[in-house]
Amino acid sequence: MMFLRMLSASLVSAVLVLNAGCSTFDVTQSVQSKPVEQRISSLATLSKQDPLTRTLDIQQWHTSAGTKVLFMAAPELPMFDLRLTFAAGSSKDGNTYGLASLTNAMLNEGTGQLNAGDIASQFEDLGAQFSSGSYRDMAVVTLRSLSDPKLSTPALTLFSDVTAKPSFPASSLARIKNQLLAGFEYQKQNPGKLASLALFEQLYGQHPYAHSSSGTEESVPAIKRQQLLDFHRTYYSAENAQIALVGDLTLDQAKAISEQVSTRLPRGTAAATTAEPLATAASHTHIEFPSEQTHILLAQLSVKRGDADYPALFLGNQILGGGGFGTRLMEEVREKRGLTYGIYSSFSPMQATGPFMINVQTRAQLSEATLQLVQDLLDDYVANGPTEAELADAKRESLGSFPLSAASNSAIVGQLAAIGFYDMPLTWMSDFMQDLQALSVTDVHEAFQRHLNPDQLVIVTAGPKVEQLPLPEPVERSGPAAVERQH
Amino acid sequence: MKIFLGYIVLFLSSTLITPLMAQTATTEFSLDNGLKVIVREDHRAPVVVSQLWYKIGSSYETPGSTGLAHALEHMMFKGSSKLGPGESSRILRELGAEENAFTSDDYTAYYQVLARDRLEVALEMEADRLASLTLPEDEFIREIEVIKEERRMRTDDRPSGLAYERFKALAYPASGYHIPTIGWMHDLERMTIADLRDWHDRWYAPNNAILVIVGDVQPDAVKTMVQRHFAKIPARPIPATKQPLEQAEPGQRSITLYLKTQLPSLMMGFNVPSLASSDNPTSVHALRLISALLDGGNSARLPAQLERKQELVAGASAWYNAFSRGDSLFVLSATPNVQKGKTLAEVEAGLWQQLKLLQDTPPTAAELDRVRAQVLAAEVYAQDSITSQAQQIGRLESVGLSWRLQDSDLAALQAVTPADIQAAAQQFFIPTRLTTAYVHPEEARP
Repeated sequence: MMFLRMLSASLVSAVLVLNAGCSTFDVTQSVQSKPVEQRISSLATLSKQDPLTRTLDIQQWHTSAGTKVLFMAAPELPMFDLRLTFAAGSSKDGNTYGLASLTNAMLNEGTGQLNAGDIASQFEDLGAQFSSGSYRDMAVVTLRSLSDPKLSTPALTLFSDVTAKPSFPASSLARIKNQLLAGFEYQKQNPGKLASLALFEQLYGQHPYAHSSSGTEESVPAIKRQQLLDFHRTYYSAENAQIALVGDLTLDQAKAISEQVSTRLPRGTAAATTAEPLATAASHTHIEFPSEQTHILLAQLSVKRGDADYPALFLGNQILGGGGFGTRLMEEVREKRGLTYGIYSSFSPMQATGPFMINVQTRAQLSEATLQLVQDLLDDYVANGPTEAELADAKRESLGSFPLSAASNSAIVGQLAAIGFYDMPLTWMSDFMQDLQALSVTDVHEAFQRHLNPDQLVIVTAGPKVEQLPLPEPVERSGPAAVERQH
Repeated sequence: MKIFLGYIVLFLSSTLITPLMAQTATTEFSLDNGLKVIVREDHRAPVVVSQLWYKIGSSYETPGSTGLAHALEHMMFKGSSKLGPGESSRILRELGAEENAFTSDDYTAYYQVLARDRLEVALEMEADRLASLTLPEDEFIREIEVIKEERRMRTDDRPSGLAYERFKALAYPASGYHIPTIGWMHDLERMTIADLRDWHDRWYAPNNAILVIVGDVQPDAVKTMVQRHFAKIPARPIPATKQPLEQAEPGQRSITLYLKTQLPSLMMGFNVPSLASSDNPTSVHALRLISALLDGGNSARLPAQLERKQELVAGASAWYNAFSRGDSLFVLSATPNVQKGKTLAEVEAGLWQQLKLLQDTPPTAAELDRVRAQVLAAEVYAQDSITSQAQQIGRLESVGLSWRLQDSDLAALQAVTPADIQAAAQQFFIPTRLTTAYVHPEEARP
């Protein structure tokens, strides 16, 4: 939310997308004196039942090559989504920063006698969409195709060739490296990106999460074709892969597809899991940049996938700064003081401990005061936890939004891929919802105390050094809601 | 009430794509106050999206008063007769809804995505802020600061955003499309709450809006709910509006910018009509296909020729909005491959070479078939998202076209011949329609 986006590729107009608004808490009264159910009549008649959620009939099996498959039939639309994940992200780069990313980006540059243009033409003749991406933990390769076998059969064959037998042509390698180098030049004009790169270096030190998945302008030019071949043979193996499949396919078709795709992959072993990072000390790094706004990032190592505290951290973060409007950070920093267009906090659980992060940008003259305000808000939240009313609202929100998480094939295939990759149970989505509903204020408060220490924040700012101004006075909204906030 | 069942049956000659059927049940009706309502049933999941589109955007603004449409959008969240400032967002959040809003040159739209049993709450609150927006001054004084931060983030600190704003201001000499949607900073500085009250009074009426609902709903039940909350809002006279029109050939223009960027870049825009402003729809559909031939996928001409074969550009794109209310632009943009020592001048020549090729040689049937296959598949893929479905409908309706165009769109694209494409390239890609922006790093300033 809240970003500039094109509604479609053909839409020239820059469309401003934003979501204004604010939140007060448990508003039984507002500027009007009547309870909200008396003012909004449809709220009074709203069913107290939990909303219906689409039933997900997920099938799981392993192919003969040992690849785990998660499948859900969705016959309503004549299409399907196939997503392969590999433990082949930049945490497997070793000292060759960017190797995982370059390997992934080169998959569709050649296979057999086909070059990049041939591959693109063949997919596009079939109306099929191929894409790939590489992150810290995982590499992803996806195919979206119409389900008519006359189209899907050749699309799957080509997908399988590209994924299992890439030729990594030398001429393409030089070109893709140049595009990555152009990307690094773009980064230099983006203070938010520069701050984020510095933040991960500070947080992770010598750990493989420290460097950018894209590599660096020093590391990328030195990468050799043979390294890509070796990386592919080691990490794009059937044993190191998971398949998620959703769409207009029978179980037999899904089995045949996953068999075809997995058995052609190299054979090997599942990659070792990423080691835990060392604890980091508090720091504040400033990057001088000639922008109007200063970008401010605050972070700390926090939680890994599978941690029993994650539901409490997730729910607690929804109150603090997760998901947009109505959070404490948005209320205090944007709504009451007009300091920013957006402020968010998040926990990013990864295979090894991932970061908790807050990011905000504000006019440079107010950056120091804004940073102090954000730190005070975080200190207060970690020290005192949420209120009962905040927790109840957050639980209702999570129940209500649950049906939205499975509303499209693309949403479901994303969920299945995450469940497969991080080896979570098939019931993970509903288990998580139940976990959230069972949490108490104490659970959330204690989880925050266990995972966050505001004295150990890693802070990065990027912007110009300018004379600083004090914070504007907050505008308080009348009504009991505003009072309830002052815990 | 009129039920429309659209069966899209397509026969694409000489491609691998054979007849494919997509079925959609779409219902359209209007209230007595002029509110148009379009309901599309999609029963795959128990969710629904509601979007209220107003036929008002930044192209309706006047010099000195830019940014009003967008600022009003922000203020729509600050309370109405039944709701305090921010309260609707709190209620929707607690219901688990996603809500948002967006403003463009042609429209301002508000939406909620939520579990299907909660639709009526969204409708009731949407109706309330249409009928009785509060617009408190103290909220505005704070919110305008937020909007200025938004402008700094999107435009002033982002070289591509800044370059596009200046390019657009030059490319549309006559029409309101030269106005940046977020508004010029000096206009944000002098905007008042009175300006916004006036804007809401003038443009926010049921007879200037389209409500689009897509999801797991029954049209009859939706109609009852919509009538309950919207029918009592009276229709009001809306100022007469004029379609944004340009001179066909305003003359060749260019702008040179030195920005905080590491890489130079280029934008070329040709003044062309849109589907709504053209009396020759074939030429508009031809331009859409040209855009796809140039940049419709990784096998298209810009990536295949300029990026991979010639290694002239680090990236290049072509885009054309055929679905604007008035005359449009066909835009090409590119960044030179500086690692290979390529310059802006060489990139400009390379783009012209691609345009000349379209003028001199009609595309092959195979190349056109590939483009159409992608369009057809994309139509199916778009149905995976209720939000995309609603957006397609709302965009068409808000610029004065019918959502039913979707059903004939593929046939319209199929009717375009290679000769039509050549003719469109010859007619439109000429210097007198062209605006060029040259963007250089500040260090290169002479």
